[in-house]
Amino acid sequence: MQLFRLFLPLISAILALLCFAPTAWAFCGFYVAKADTKLYNQASQVILARDGNRTVLTMANDFQGDVKDFAVVIPVPTVLKKEQVHVAEPKIIERLDAFSAPRLVEYFDSDPCAVMEKMADMPAPLAGGRMESSANKMRRDSNLGVTVEAKFNVGEYDIVILSAKESGGLEIWLNRNGYKIPKGAKELLKPYIRSAMKFFVAKVNLDKFAESGYQLLRPLQISYESLKFMLPIRLGMINATKEQDLVVYILSPQGQAEITNYRTVKVPSDVNIPVYVKSEFGDFYKSMFQTSYTKEDKKVGFLEYAWDMSSCDPCSAEPLNNEELKQAGVFWLDNNSDRPVSPTFRSRFPSSSVFITRLHVRYTRNKFPEDLMFQATSQRESFQGRYILQHPFTGNVQCSAGRQYQRSLNQRLEKEAETLARLTNWNIQNIRQKMQIPGRKFSTSLWDNFLAWLGL
Amino acid sequence: MLCKDIRDYQILFLSLFLILGIGTRDWTLHPEFIAVAIASCIITQIICSLITKSPDSLQLINIRSPLITSLGLSLLLRVDHWPTMALAGFAAIASKFVFKVGEKHFFNPANFGIVAVLTLTNDAWVSPGQWGEEWWYALLFVGTGGMILQRVGRWDTTAAFLGAYSLLAAIRNLWLGWTWDVYFHHLMSGSLLLFSLFMVTDPRSIPNSPMSRIIWAISIALLTFILRNFFFIPTAVFWALFALAPLTILLDKFWITPRFSWENKTELPAENNQLTIIN
Repeated sequence: MQLFRLFLPLISAILALLCFAPTAWAFCGFYVAKADTKLYNQASQVILARDGNRTVLTMANDFQGDVKDFAVVIPVPTVLKKEQVHVAEPKIIERLDAFSAPRLVEYFDSDPCAVMEKMADMPAPLAGGRMESSANKMRRDSNLGVTVEAKFNVGEYDIVILSAKESGGLEIWLNRNGYKIPKGAKELLKPYIRSAMKFFVAKVNLDKFAESGYQLLRPLQISYESLKFMLPIRLGMINATKEQDLVVYILSPQGQAEITNYRTVKVPSDVNIPVYVKSEFGDFYKSMFQTSYTKEDKKVGFLEYAWDMSSCDPCSAEPLNNEELKQAGVFWLDNNSDRPVSPTFRSRFPSSSVFITRLHVRYTRNKFPEDLMFQATSQRESFQGRYILQHPFTGNVQCSAGRQYQRSLNQRLEKEAETLARLTNWNIQNIRQKMQIPGRKFSTSLWDNFLAWLGL
Repeated sequence: MLCKDIRDYQILFLSLFLILGIGTRDWTLHPEFIAVAIASCIITQIICSLITKSPDSLQLINIRSPLITSLGLSLLLRVDHWPTMALAGFAAIASKFVFKVGEKHFFNPANFGIVAVLTLTNDAWVSPGQWGEEWWYALLFVGTGGMILQRVGRWDTTAAFLGAYSLLAAIRNLWLGWTWDVYFHHLMSGSLLLFSLFMVTDPRSIPNSPMSRIIWAISIALLTFILRNFFFIPTAVFWALFALAPLTILLDKFWITPRFSWENKTELPAENNQLTIIN
């Protein structure tokens, strides 16, 4: 009993920890095109920088229509004030993308007849197969039972923060204000309204846009305090007719992030593929991703990259400097003093560290009914989508080691062809043809197989 | 001797899940961590038994229970470094010897181990999404878990927990106006089922009488629901079970029923058991 009494304060301490902190929520909405332009969301890129309960969310603007038609409605956790909304540097998402993209590395076989000199490796970083993006459509409109919580403009955007009591009213408000709402939006807005979320509505101020001199819309960046670490993808699915791609870059001082309500699966990596893929790496990656996606029954999120941002090996782009990290929303770098103390279990991580997780989610309405929920874990293990090209030695080989090399090379090339076929679902005959190895037997004899198996 | 004790089935099933998980799920699982978990649990059990009992009872040291705990830890807990796993194993088993009232420990050992390293270290985490939401896993967990629960007579706990939790989730879903696939996706979570069939039902640490078990399970469901939906803690179930475990003591005081013993529930008489359960 004494132990029990001793234990009570511990329980209450833990309960106190759990019960602190206000309720709140987070993002991702639909694009609302002002005209009935048929624009669909195909790929979106989002940066989520999060430490404790504070999140800085940067949304790449992949809108590909006339800017006057651009408008977006996003559920947000709290009423955002002007100082919580920024326009980010357009380059920053490209930088993160390039840094974390799946990469191709190249090695060259050395002369097997030369003494013991093993492969001179030469990492050849290439930016990976990113899916092209396009935009979403939606229409807009105006109101009833809706409160305009804030109205301001940031950069080229006019922003309105709305709170609503019921979805019908919000729908009417949006419609009256010239936003065309897609069918079915009303039902989908309801759960967000009921969860006390606010709506971030942005459209382009054409004068400001012309003044800014930018050709494309810049990313919007919002910051908020919220217990909820999630992306609302449901709204975005209203006006999507097919699979949508979402690349989420999660930056955390802690470690790798993962999805908590869907599986997070690593993309196939560290495989040897035929050298000709060098010229069609984008196609390779797309096919490979699609094959993995189908194999996993289209209901998982894929991990493409997980790394401490202070290093990379091989680097597919220069690591981001502190200034760039700040632009990406990282707020915990050197201003620890004015950071709000978070009441959650752990903020004991080195505050100078930034760990990036790149998640690629291809989703459809039937396989992804719930919004994406995330958590940052303490896992510091690195992972990258990495594909290896191993160039055979092309010189003349006459020695016995050389003959052995030739034999094993045939095996190796065949294995590369098989790997490629398995990963991409491409026709193996085509692959073999493209590999163009002169005098190469494709169906190796049992004897060859046996020798190879023995390692000879 | 195999499978005379219900826990042999439990060991078998948990090992099966572990193999299945490693084989079919994309887990960052290190075989050496599993070995560390097993070793640390068994060693702690031996040491604690030796400290608390006379040395001649060594041959009666219980191996099954630490093995189940270590398999549970391996299935649920992820760590970066092996000492953390060793600490989890140690905390799990030591909790059985430290936090007990009379002869009964009130924390689920694996749960205690998980919560201990989540709070005390920087490199432990739980991945609630790791099992996915596949129906065949659900079926597998319900089938195997059901078989064990049938034999230990603890169906009521799982039923009360899952019943209460799914009712709360249904009310929430209805109120928010989400479509029902959101609800089913939420409930089909393999981790939730694994927890409700294999962890919340541990007959040794949960209340003895059926009524108190039902109250206990409903409270855990309620707390899980609150932590998950209002505080957005993805690992809510573990915290809920941990926080409410001491309630067992109170409930046992109200409803007095003979304490659970593995031997009484086995189909075969206990005299065949070489590894008799002592702690």
